[in-house]
Amino acid sequence: MKSATDLQTVVEMTRSIPCAPAILPKLLKLAEGGSADLGEMEMLINLDTGLATDVLRTANSAYFSSNQRCESISDAILRLGSKVLYRIAASTLTGRWLVHPVRGYGWEPGDLCRHSLCVAICAETFSKKMHLADASTAYTAGLIHDLGKFALAYANFTSLDDISDRVPAEFSTWREAEKVVLGFESTEVTKALLENWGFPSTFVSVGHFYQTPSEAPEVDRPLVTLIHAAKHVATQLGYGVGVDGFYYEPDVEALQAAGFKDEEMDAAIPEILTTIQRFISPAGDIRFT
Amino acid sequence: MVPSYNPATAQMPTIIVGVADLKISTEPATYIATHALGSCLGITFHDAKRRIGGMLHAMLPTSKITQGEKIREAMFLDTGIPKLLTVLIRAGAKKADIRCKVFGGAQLMATDNFFRIGSKNIDMFYRLSQEMDLEVVSWEVSGRVNRTIRLNNLTGDVIVKIPSKPEFIR
Repeated sequence: MKSATDLQTVVEMTRSIPCAPAILPKLLKLAEGGSADLGEMEMLINLDTGLATDVLRTANSAYFSSNQRCESISDAILRLGSKVLYRIAASTLTGRWLVHPVRGYGWEPGDLCRHSLCVAICAETFSKKMHLADASTAYTAGLIHDLGKFALAYANFTSLDDISDRVPAEFSTWREAEKVVLGFESTEVTKALLENWGFPSTFVSVGHFYQTPSEAPEVDRPLVTLIHAAKHVATQLGYGVGVDGFYYEPDVEALQAAGFKDEEMDAAIPEILTTIQRFISPAGDIRFT
Repeated sequence: MVPSYNPATAQMPTIIVGVADLKISTEPATYIATHALGSCLGITFHDAKRRIGGMLHAMLPTSKITQGEKIREAMFLDTGIPKLLTVLIRAGAKKADIRCKVFGGAQLMATDNFFRIGSKNIDMFYRLSQEMDLEVVSWEVSGRVNRTIRLNNLTGDVIVKIPSKPEFIR
């Protein structure tokens, strides 16, 4: 176990994390706008054997399968379409990364993945109702919003235990305690990681400001506020929420400015829950396909 | 010689209750469990005389929010609690012998305007428990913790797990 160190060291340490979702920004770019270059998409998917296997398995699943089996990635792309394919890729890549056991936040194996998936689904649902962002963009932003916490836990700091002790004792928020104990916030780690991996600046803003959307650049604020709302609704649902989950405060100003209303968010929950339960079993098992 | 039953060592099967779901058991040597309540409420009913137990994992206080859509009764407290009680009584439990325990309802900090499901659920449960004359013997609600609960249908004990803490019994 290591003691607290600086932000740059954390980012350096996470370079060795297996299966970092580095091809995701490229896939997102290809899937955007509905005119994807299928050949390039096939090439990218084939770079990752596990992803290629998942795509083929999904294309041949009962839900998508016709009489003919898909034998190649190009067949699978044609059958699934670029949007569905992107969704599978995003879920598979980040899910694989987020499934490791993580201490410090009290997460069981898979908890961060379950929670991130719920945030993604909430974000996608709200994006359709609120028209603050494209649904695929919102979904991806939900998946990757909290990668900095995984990186901190992966770096295995004993300091995380100090944070979880300090927060209830001092009635502080989690981010206030991070700042005191670590000297930086997990959102700064997320920002650095997403920049290193070449994610578009909008996603970097989400990672950096999702806890305080009022501070986000104006151009990115609608999406950042959407993820802020999605994050807290997903937290209330409980899936994969660790010891840190409820120690946050809503940014009321940003939520009101974006047009969110408490009752309307509550009313969306039955639909959100139905979608989540397609992907997460009652026992908590995740099935992306 | 027939081996005596030892609940401390037996591997009792566990029935899992999902979100917006309810389950009962008439088999004493059974656990009924639900994961990660968050702001939802997990409500256990147990008839100790007949060893019949049930659990509801409700997400929202009132079904009125759905405005005429087809509802899942177990998603809401106002429909889920009467449903659980009805099912238990049909299975042989007696209302006078049923003890109720309630868990969950976690809340974010400073939530006067947004994300108040936890407090709304607790308020609604309190109201319903009065109206339905439920004997509530344990309240483990509110706070900033995500609770996982497991009802031992043999004893009526509920084992509570929260992240980074040891289990305890209510």
